[in-house]
Amino acid sequence: MVAAFTPKILVLATERCAYPGADAVGKAHLEYGSNIYVLRVPSPVLFPMDFFLRCYARGIDGILIAACGSDCPYRGAYDRLAARIDKLTAVMKREGLEIQRIRLTAICTVCIKAYLKEVGELNDKLLKLGPVDRAKAATIEQICRRQLRPTAAVAAAEPVSA
Amino acid sequence: MNTINNSQHDHQEPRIGVYICRCGGNISDVVDVDRVAEVSRHIPGVVVAKVHTFCCSDPGQNTISQDIQAEKLDRVVVASCSPFLHELTFRGAVQRGGLNPYLYEHANIREQGSWAHKHDPAGATAKSIRMIAAAVGKLQYSTPLDQIRLPNHRKALVIGGGIAGMKVAADLAGRGIPVLLVESSGRLGGRLNQWNRVFPTDTPAGQLVTKLLAQLDANPLVEILLNCKVTAVKGFVGSFQVTIEGPLGPSGAMTSTQTTIGAIVMATGFRPYVPDDGEFLYRKDPGVITMPEFIDLMRGQQTGAGELVYKGRTIRSIAFLHCVGSRQIDGVHTPRADGKINTYCSRVCCTTTLQQALAAKERFPSLQVYDLHQDIRTYGRGHEDYYVRAGKAGVVFFRYHGDEIPRVELANGKHPGEPSLHITFKDYLTWGEELTLDVDMLVLAVGLMAGDIPDLINMFKLPVGEDRFIQEIHPKLRPVEISVNGVLLAGTVQGPMNIEETLNAAGAAAVKASAMFLKDVVELNPYVAQVDADLCQGSGSCVTQCEYDGAIAMVETQVNGKSVRQARVNPGLCVGCGACVAVCPTRAINLNGWRLDQYDAMVDGLTADIPAVAAATS
Repeated sequence: MVAAFTPKILVLATERCAYPGADAVGKAHLEYGSNIYVLRVPSPVLFPMDFFLRCYARGIDGILIAACGSDCPYRGAYDRLAARIDKLTAVMKREGLEIQRIRLTAICTVCIKAYLKEVGELNDKLLKLGPVDRAKAATIEQICRRQLRPTAAVAAAEPVSA
Repeated sequence: MNTINNSQHDHQEPRIGVYICRCGGNISDVVDVDRVAEVSRHIPGVVVAKVHTFCCSDPGQNTISQDIQAEKLDRVVVASCSPFLHELTFRGAVQRGGLNPYLYEHANIREQGSWAHKHDPAGATAKSIRMIAAAVGKLQYSTPLDQIRLPNHRKALVIGGGIAGMKVAADLAGRGIPVLLVESSGRLGGRLNQWNRVFPTDTPAGQLVTKLLAQLDANPLVEILLNCKVTAVKGFVGSFQVTIEGPLGPSGAMTSTQTTIGAIVMATGFRPYVPDDGEFLYRKDPGVITMPEFIDLMRGQQTGAGELVYKGRTIRSIAFLHCVGSRQIDGVHTPRADGKINTYCSRVCCTTTLQQALAAKERFPSLQVYDLHQDIRTYGRGHEDYYVRAGKAGVVFFRYHGDEIPRVELANGKHPGEPSLHITFKDYLTWGEELTLDVDMLVLAVGLMAGDIPDLINMFKLPVGEDRFIQEIHPKLRPVEISVNGVLLAGTVQGPMNIEETLNAAGAAAVKASAMFLKDVVELNPYVAQVDADLCQGSGSCVTQCEYDGAIAMVETQVNGKSVRQARVNPGLCVGCGACVAVCPTRAINLNGWRLDQYDAMVDGLTADIPAVAAATS
């Protein structure tokens, strides 16, 4: 019997808004899937495109970027982040990776319902999509890296692949 | 500052200690913590994995500090509650053990583990293991960091000049700390100016205000701003830049002023519940009034003054109805505009009602007084006396059930031209019998609602609870602190409290604020960008992304005897957003404490093939 597919979901949650928001869900003793993992981040603007693709290549099936939106404490960071995610989805679309695997949203410190709705909806979408194509994600990751890095620097900077 | 060189990562095997907290059952009732410890021991780099009932307790912290010495640990993970509660606690424990406090990682297996996956113990256990694996992975790339030290401005701001704010200001100034007390109305004292005598001592409320006012007046360290509002805030603990608007200065014209503040106390209070139009005939019949309106009516009524007359109606009988706007039940009560009902008990109304019923009976002995309650919660010291005395004075008690709200209709009274209020309810002191009462006045014992402070909530990013009140970090362990560092709560801004409780809270907030000023400096996390000189190729991409003047610049520098251009961060001006990090072609710039290689390692931890995880879930 084939084991039922449980998507692995990564939530990148801002320290000021979405991470306390995720805490608030637990504090209210409301439940969501244990397949949902939250990482705290000052602002998701710090992630280059290849970071997201590396996540998929390692087996993360879907990523929810839970940002602060208009409450972002850093000047211009949310707009830059939104622009980067637009670019990322364009590359994913072009290279044939389902763009439903990434979602950018704003979650506030008390947005319990919004958090549950977002992770629930992403989970449902991923159940329909099935597991991520890790090999394809790895290929696109390399494309993104080459775009970001001048050829001369690539050899020096390429991390030892694990 | 050290230059971090991640291309030459230290390959000496790390020695990591992992501590898993039971949280007295909060975690271990769901997560199989022994299993988590067992599996954690097999994660590469982990040499110790222990379970403790309360890692945050003194014995728990000591275990960590002692293990660092005994087991020669060089990195520590604690898997427990949210990092907002105890990350600092454990950084302290790690430091006492002799390690740099930033060689510590926190795994949140309570708020984002046991509490969120209560009905999935196997899943919660597996998730806890992966979260620990992620934390261990992150630590492999952690380096010692030094805190940023900034001057602590020895001045407190108290927002709200009610009894709580006055008490905080008086206490702080009494300890020699300059205080700015900002009140939006034209008078100090807040709600107490509305009340008459207050329980449990029946002291005139005005006396309490006068006493505190005298303390404030006597202390030159207190500056009081009336008719003023805080309109903007920037900065952080030790150095908040606060903008205050109001009729400042001798001209009285509206002006705005800026001041630097070290700590802030929120004492903005509550609002009494205002019944909807028609709720129990409120605003439909003049005989239906709220408790604050009744207290106002009773003010100045002398004993033996004859009859109580209100709006031309002679009041011969009064019913007091408890729990109006409190202890509301889903599906029974109509939600407010925000879709919420007030499920909480407002705590002060029972004793207030009995005190007022008794006062009415004492002043107008011929008055018929009825009390309709769900329960009588006279929980405080001396409160029960009012209950006993009210009973002896002839107040008649009835008990209704919360899901069977008493019905109020207008009926013809016994006296021509004077209608009466016809109340129908089931009384559970007489086995659920349907009873009716005809009274001249109905007093609604309204509860407490959260203050209307959307601007302050927005400005300070105050954490709002499900009941709309501002939420403390922990109701027992950290009752006056909130998740915004340097901002404290005093009184009913936090939830329903009586005056005694409010003053206790205010005293606690004042002590907490005083403690913040014991140090001249505020230590902040060193989470700013840093450039790895070995990797920077001088592309300048980072500079184009930075929104903060002077935080990052290209400089000429010498590498191996050659002059090259490299990026350089000014840690005093960098806010740590990380916008620069994403665009570096060589990953040469990173945020200290939040490095990209640390995130990669955390993702690897979350996705790693840990055979024991599969076993734990099976």
